[in-house]
Amino acid sequence: MIDRIVKSALALVLTAGAAVAQDYPSEPITLIVPYSPGGNGDITSRFVADQASDILGVKFIVENRAGGGAFIGINSCANADPDGYTICFISTSPITVRPHVIDAPYDPMKDLTYVGQFLLSKQPIIARSDGKFTSLDDVIAYAKEKPGQLRWSAAVPRGGPHLATEAMFRAEGAVTTFLPSKGGAVELANLLSGTIDLAVISDYGPALDNGEIVILGETSPGRNPQAPDAPTLSELGYPLELASFFGLAAPDGLPDDVIAVWDDTLKQITESEEFTTLMERIKTKGAYLSSADFTAQVRADYEAMGKATQKFGLAK
Amino acid sequence: MESILAGISLALTWESITAVFIGLLAGQLLGAIPGLTATMTVALLIPYTYYLDPWVGIPMLIGMFKGSLFGSSVTAILVKTPGTPAAAATVLDGYPMAQQGKGEKACKMALYSSVFGDGFSDIVLIFGASFLAAIALNFGPAEYTLLVAFSLLTMGFVSGAKVWKGIVAMLLGMLIGIVGLDPVTATPRLTLGFLELEEGVGLIPMLIGFLAIAEVLRQMELPRKHLAMSTVSFSADPADRRVSWPEFRRCLPTLFKSSSMGTAVGALPGISATVAAFLAYNEARRASRNPEKFGKGTLEGVAAPESANNAVSGANLIPLMAFGIPGDIAAALILSALLIQGITPGPVVFRDNPEPIYAIFTALLLANLFNLLLGHGLIKVARRVVAVPKRVLFPAVLVIAAAGAFAMRGSVFDIQLVFLFGLLGWGLTKLAFPTVPLLIGFILMPILESNLRVSMLIASSVPDPLLYFFQRPAFVTLIIVMLLLLALILRRVLRDNSAARASRLKEG
Repeated sequence: MIDRIVKSALALVLTAGAAVAQDYPSEPITLIVPYSPGGNGDITSRFVADQASDILGVKFIVENRAGGGAFIGINSCANADPDGYTICFISTSPITVRPHVIDAPYDPMKDLTYVGQFLLSKQPIIARSDGKFTSLDDVIAYAKEKPGQLRWSAAVPRGGPHLATEAMFRAEGAVTTFLPSKGGAVELANLLSGTIDLAVISDYGPALDNGEIVILGETSPGRNPQAPDAPTLSELGYPLELASFFGLAAPDGLPDDVIAVWDDTLKQITESEEFTTLMERIKTKGAYLSSADFTAQVRADYEAMGKATQKFGLAK
Repeated sequence: MESILAGISLALTWESITAVFIGLLAGQLLGAIPGLTATMTVALLIPYTYYLDPWVGIPMLIGMFKGSLFGSSVTAILVKTPGTPAAAATVLDGYPMAQQGKGEKACKMALYSSVFGDGFSDIVLIFGASFLAAIALNFGPAEYTLLVAFSLLTMGFVSGAKVWKGIVAMLLGMLIGIVGLDPVTATPRLTLGFLELEEGVGLIPMLIGFLAIAEVLRQMELPRKHLAMSTVSFSADPADRRVSWPEFRRCLPTLFKSSSMGTAVGALPGISATVAAFLAYNEARRASRNPEKFGKGTLEGVAAPESANNAVSGANLIPLMAFGIPGDIAAALILSALLIQGITPGPVVFRDNPEPIYAIFTALLLANLFNLLLGHGLIKVARRVVAVPKRVLFPAVLVIAAAGAFAMRGSVFDIQLVFLFGLLGWGLTKLAFPTVPLLIGFILMPILESNLRVSMLIASSVPDPLLYFFQRPAFVTLIIVMLLLLALILRRVLRDNSAARASRLKEG
């Protein structure tokens, strides 16, 4: 008896599967995260996968394929079938910045479809709140007065925020000492201990709430909501500003109907209450862009970074 | 005071007690599986803690970390396969003990040491977080460089085997440690064109290959009849199955010293539990009256790394609670879980909203108690598992080692690395090179290099570099302490040499 129930249930499931096979999605979707578990990128990706699973009604398999500064994971995504069942998480650095500096196994302008953006993180220039610096003007004045004595760091060496800040110093003709970083947390400790005077990092939330640091400026477009008085680099007339995004990508040649499904899904997720709460709590801002808008944005950023790395002699 | 009591009562609800219990149980089991580190499991669980209250979700994560540190030492002792890198130093004396039939004793010592280290650093965290964190902030790149350089220097003197072999092994370890992106210029170095090597040789494939695979290869060389036996026999003598009070008391100085070292390391952002375990092991051997017994199965050799690596886990929360700076990945995960819950650690939270923090502290202490209780159960289970014959166990170890290496970042390359390092480890053992200096060199080299080079960059940025460094109180203190320790070591080396000469003369 039970045997027969199982068999008929199975038959039902199989035929149902065949009937909707035309519709995307009908089977589990693999989301490749090109970083180790635990970072903000990994946490938000898993959140997006969880929500998308509810909306689309299929399972999501989140795979961490870390290594090579995210090149390995993104490359395995770029080489998958463009059927919508393999997508990957992307952030700014391996797409618009590092391919200019170091050989990437994929061409960000040819091998990927940009599915959509869901988050923009702020990358402020911060200093200790001991009154040494209260504005970027102070910083520039100090750097010019004492060449080479201003020490600073950025969470990702040769990432967008690093290059944007370097562009500011070069535009002013100021010579500084950049100390390579071991990640945002260590840089925050170095800032508080006086090893460096300035840091460009995104995970500064607790220190700001505790009044240990002040935000002097913002390296990405748009002011930081937590420091509405701190100007952005382009407001001050400096040459480079770069959005720090989290988004999704898929292999090149993703069908239009799959793109349409994702445009809709990501929009729904970013508008949900859970998403807003999560963003508030990790102190960033959700920022939805459809596939078309995101692609245009990525291309523009890629070109801007290409020019900037050439200008500063950092290009490969 | 009211808020402390409120915090404690939050943690003593049945939800959070169950959460700690489940976290600990899962941590111990997962910790025992190589490659499945607590960090990874916790990362996978964090999205779900979003739906739990902070005093339920966070204690679960903490329980998991604590459990996994002990769970991983059980496999380190019994099968020479550290479940997580932090237990690699436990292999050094734990495995020889297991070979002598004292596996249960070693596991129990590891358990008591783990709980001791945990309790020690938790108490330091609860009562001295802001004080210690302020001291830790005096440690900049120059001080890190001094600390690491000194650890490597003392290695050469106390490595046990022939001094030149110890130094060669250490240099080889350091060479493997510099593979990857150059820390200053960010250009690939010694990667042979492999993208997978740009972030350096993975700690997990290196340790699993070097310890577990090398051991399997060594066993394969033994005559066939060995294969039907189980890898460890358990002595029937009750004295070999438990840790007696006099034995524990004898280890107490080591436990206190190692726990303090672990706590200090944990308070410094960026140095891992693995480093602390090796440093404590090294120091225990240096300070011991019978350093020659280390590596052959001495109880102190288990107590030192086990108490140190667990002490790191509590102490990592020191910079987190004091300033909101996570000391390592584990603390970073707890930070993101706290932030997701809307709690920002730091001085402000103690003033405005301390209940959840006190609840977390209570959960820390509760987790230690459960670790002790559940640990005994895990030892009993593990005893049965390793009782299977070698011809069943070792193939299983090979598979688990490969799967563990793969799981970390989904990379087939890492599986190849495991076997490559297995061959290397086996070859070096054949040639009687010591293992410890190689592992320490490998683990410390990246820390030494990046801090040394950053220190040099700092030196070039200040008008008077010597003045800059010698104005730093921590720098001067460290130099004085190290010179004193160096004098002690040299005196001992000289005394040993003259004693050896005297005994040779007598024999001659």
